[in-house]
This record gives sequence, C-alpha cells and structure tokens, in this order.
Amino acid sequence: MAEEIIIEVNNLTKYFPVSRGLFRQKKIAEVKAVDGVSFAIHSGETLGLVGESGCGKTTLGKCMVQLYRPTSGEIIFEGKDLCRLSDKELRPFRQKLQVVFQDPYDSLNPRFTAMDIIGEPLRIHNIAKGKEYQERVAELLRLVGLAPYMAERYPHEFSGGQRQRLGVARALALQPRFIMCDEPLSALDVSIQAQIINLLDDLQEKFGVAYLFISHDLSVVRHISDRVAVMYLGKIVEIANRDELYKNPLHPYTQALLSAVPIPDPEVEMKRQIIVLKGEVPSPMNPPSGCVFHPRCYRAFADCSQTIPLLEDVGNNHHVACLLYNQSRP
Amino acid sequence: MDKLLEVRNLKTYFHTQDGVVKAVDGVSYDVNKGETIALVGESGCGKTVSALSILRLVAEPAGKIEAGEILFDGIDLLKLTTEEMRKMRGAKISIIFQEPLTSLNPVLTIGRQISEGLEFHRNISLNEGLKEAVRLLQLVGIPHPERRIYDYPHQFSGGMRQRAMIAIAIACQPQLIIADEPTTVVDVTIQAQLLELIRNITKELNTALILITHNLGIVARYAHRVFVMYAGNIVERGSAMDVYHYPCHPYTAGLLTSVPRLDEPRKIRLIPIDGQPPDLIAPPIGCAFQSRCNYSIPKCQNEKPPLQEVAPNHYAACWVSQKDQRPWQKKSL
Repeated sequence: MAEEIIIEVNNLTKYFPVSRGLFRQKKIAEVKAVDGVSFAIHSGETLGLVGESGCGKTTLGKCMVQLYRPTSGEIIFEGKDLCRLSDKELRPFRQKLQVVFQDPYDSLNPRFTAMDIIGEPLRIHNIAKGKEYQERVAELLRLVGLAPYMAERYPHEFSGGQRQRLGVARALALQPRFIMCDEPLSALDVSIQAQIINLLDDLQEKFGVAYLFISHDLSVVRHISDRVAVMYLGKIVEIANRDELYKNPLHPYTQALLSAVPIPDPEVEMKRQIIVLKGEVPSPMNPPSGCVFHPRCYRAFADCSQTIPLLEDVGNNHHVACLLYNQSRP
Repeated sequence: MDKLLEVRNLKTYFHTQDGVVKAVDGVSYDVNKGETIALVGESGCGKTVSALSILRLVAEPAGKIEAGEILFDGIDLLKLTTEEMRKMRGAKISIIFQEPLTSLNPVLTIGRQISEGLEFHRNISLNEGLKEAVRLLQLVGIPHPERRIYDYPHQFSGGMRQRAMIAIAIACQPQLIIADEPTTVVDVTIQAQLLELIRNITKELNTALILITHNLGIVARYAHRVFVMYAGNIVERGSAMDVYHYPCHPYTAGLLTSVPRLDEPRKIRLIPIDGQPPDLIAPPIGCAFQSRCNYSIPKCQNEKPPLQEVAPNHYAACWVSQKDQRPWQKKSL
C-alpha cells in the first residue's frame, strides 16, 4: 500500500438546522450529524466506515465528495481544502471524487439508457465525443462485467446486481482517485453481494483508486477494508487497521457491534456470548453529555457522563475514544 | 414430536399481464409444537408467499393458492370459510411483518391496535383490551407502557414499532408465529435485542416460530430446522447443524461460501454464485439452479430433481447430491 495520503479530513463538522414555522422559519435546534471527525485515506486504500443508521456515516461521506458543504473543518485533497473552494473551482476536483450510491433502483435515471448513464460524466466534462465516446462506454461496461450490447438498455431491463454494476461504471468513467461507496450492497441479495465485492476489489487493484466503504455489515467491511472506522452519533469512536480492530476491539460499542453479528454456523453460535445493548441510539439533536455512548454502555462509570473522551492513539495505530483506555495510561 | 403445522405440496401462483408467476411451486414443510424453523432464500424465491399462504393473506385476484393442503392442528386451512379463517388469524396463528411502519395503522394508537385482536377473539371491551396492552408492552420491553399505549406509530422508533408488532402478535397467545424478515429494517444492535426477545417469548409461551430471513447468521443462531428455498421450491431441508456443516445442495453451499465470516480468517477472495435466479414466469425445465451451478450434469437440464432424503432427516433436491458425492462439501470444509 502506498503511503501517499489522498484525502484528509480535519475536525469536520456538519450541523443541520432544525427550524419551526412556515413563513418565518426560526432555527430551534441543530442536528450534529458529523461532529468533529478527523482521519486520512491513503491512495489505493479502503477505509471501512461502520455504524448504525443515523450515526452520520452517509453525511460524512457526502461531505467528503462535497455533495454537502460542511459546517466547519477541512477536507484536503491534492493540497487544496475543498471546503474553501467555490462551486466553479470545485468542478475539476469533482471528476476525481466519485460516488456509488446505496440503491441502484433510485440512483439511475429511468429515462436514460445505460450508455446515457455511464456516459453522462464524460459529456459533462467534455472528455469524449462521437466514436471515442461510444468506445469508452463499451470499455466501461466490459470493465464492470456487462456486455457492450447492453448499452441501449434502460435500467429496468437490468437486475439489481447489474444495476449496481452500472453505478460502479458511472463512478469509474472519469478515472477518479477516490470513490465514496455508500452502502453499495444493502439493496442486493447475498449471492449477488459477493459479485460486487469482488468487482470493487478488482477495480481497486487495477486503478489504485481509494474507497470510503460505508456499511453496517461488519463481516463485509472486514473483507473489503484495509482500515476500519466505527462511528456513533456523529463521532468516530474507534479507528484502526482491519486486523487489529477485529482481533482487538477496544471500544465497548465496537465490541457490542461485533458480538451482535450472527455467524452462519449453529455450532459456533451455541457457544457464543453476545452483548445485547440496552436502549436505542439517542437523538443527535440532543446528544447525551460526556461520552455520547454512556447511557447504553455496559462498562460506563461515573466520569463517563461528565468527560468527553478524545480519540487517542493506544499504540499500533489504533485510536479509540473511551475513558477506559485514556485513564489506564500514565 | 407433535406436528403443529403441515404444508403439503403448496402451489401459489400470481396471474400477471406477462404470464403466470409460479412464486411457490409445490412446497412442503412442517413445524412441530414449540419449534423454530427457518425459511431461507433470496428475494423472490417464494419464502414470504409460502408463509402468507398459511394465513391466506395472498393478495387476490392476482395471487391464488392453486393447490395443496395446509394442515394446522389437523384442520385444512384452505377449506375454511372466510369467517372461520378470521378466527384463526391472530388467535392461533399470527405474523410479524418486515416493515412495521407500513404494517401498523398510522391513524390508530398503539394500544388500540394491540387491543383490536383481543376484543375480536376474546370478546372483551376496549378498556380491558387496553389494560392487557399495557401488560404486553411491558413484556416486550417498552418503558412507561401506560403512557405509550396512547401514542401513534410515528411516535415510536423503528425498534419500538417492531416491539409493538411483537406485542400484537403474541396478544392472543397463538400457537404459531410467522416472523417475516422481522429485523431487516433495523440496526444490528436493535436486531440482537429483538431476536432475543422473540426467542425468549416463544420459549416461555411454547409457541412455534417460522422465521423467514435471508440472513444465514440469524438462522444459525435461532433455528432448529432449516428449509432453503430457491425459485419457488425447497431445495434443501434438515437440522441447522446438518445443513450448515454438510450442505447437500450446491446452492446452499454457494450461499455459505459467498458470505464473509467474522470468526474465520479473512479470505483473499469471496466465491460468489454467478448469474442470477431464473425468471419464475418461464422457469427452466430441469433444475432451476442448473445455470448457476458448477457441478451440473446433463440430467440437470432435462429433469427437475425431487426433494429426496440424502442422509437421515436431511433432504436435498439435487441429482448430483443423490449420487452420494458432493464435491462442494470437500471444498467448503
């Protein structure tokens, strides 16, 4: 893995205003969807981002490709802070930052043919025309395991797995350096998921593109990621190399998440102890004081409701935001 | 063990503009008293339709149960009148749907919806029904049930709505609960809570459970016996141990190797099942899985394999498997 950092996120926040009133809208609160997040992704690397729905993982991903403009913080890409660029200045960067969306049924225009869908980025950025354009689309189709003769078909003529391949082809059209994959498998059947995972793996090897792989499926994330970040209520609570995180999860939330994943083997399941967390994820409009996880934590102590734990290195490039570990150090 | 439910050769078809969709095409399974079985398969394989058929909830006129018998405690449900069937639903057999937001009534309070079945089946008043609703909500772990019975579904979170669904399902202490993908729309930590709750309740009330899911991990954790469905048919059935450790159908084996497992060393590459399930309007003549199967023999193209016992209490519908050599087993073990 190359050590070159391709995209760096520094202290990023994204707050959504909550307003009341029909005509004179008044801001009454804020949803802190992403609240002070920092990390970096290296070229050709996959960072897995896991967490429950509403924890801010999609918002974070959308900020990184500037589909949302963050409230504060920095996103450094090719030496520039994307957050400070105007829409016009951003345009050349958008080619290099692409997205594969969650639901291939919603994210493909039903009135476009496969060629229109895959070729749209090429048209918008004036990259190819005429015969070259058609050849490029055919090549992209082949690249994702579809046949060039399918270019004239509409999305409804494709199966779910094939549609997601179209989504991948579209993202690849401009030869990006970074692709944000937002739950690209969750709308697909188990037997099809493996096909898309292998496709993403192959393309990364071929083009050296970096992925942010957002998912709630921890087994899939382990398979595809080099490093994994765990998010809870707008914050990263743990981030480490894949093997380190799965072998030695430190944050109680990560431990609970891992134990909640059922393993497809009845014998293993019979012997397994699972940690069932109490309650549900609190509202990000009114997050708990101190550590945001403390009301559900089975290892919480008095200080947890007072002190906000910081994401600290505990060695081995393993960062965790939990007072259990911050205190144990001298 | 006592048989509670026996489905024999069930065929449920949907008549559409494009032709007849054979969603369930000759499916047989059985559930013992107090037992948990799982129907596993991918979307469109007929697992939901085969379960909805038990309650006779298949949407007519497009959908129709064409043939078969559904014996519940010795009574053929397909022969009951509409009125007799109403008395079964909720009282003897109930269902937990996948998406609680669309299956709960948005304009009735939660308490009213729990009480509804009780009023109908037990002939009690709304007031008594609400009292029972409080007890049930307490049982499924909803805090302050005496206040929450006056809430509407939109005031509940996803996990709580599913708890309310469970409360409705168990209200009349049915002998059989059908749980149709009960945790697909909730997060892993909530999934763990809900499944533990369902397990404890079914154990306590000695209720049989049909768990419909595509998640092989959940099946391994909760089911005694497993029925694997593919393209409207059951292709493999057996105890959870047998099916997971010695899969006798290449589709089951393929499903098991295509998912990454947390307890095993990470594989460099996943082995997907190529292709996709067949069109159920014009299913292939032979084995429906044949075009995706790595082990098919010429016979697979021409003749549909029947579900046959390949080991004690372990059945598979596969020509190759019946020759007593299962190359996929060596590979997966």
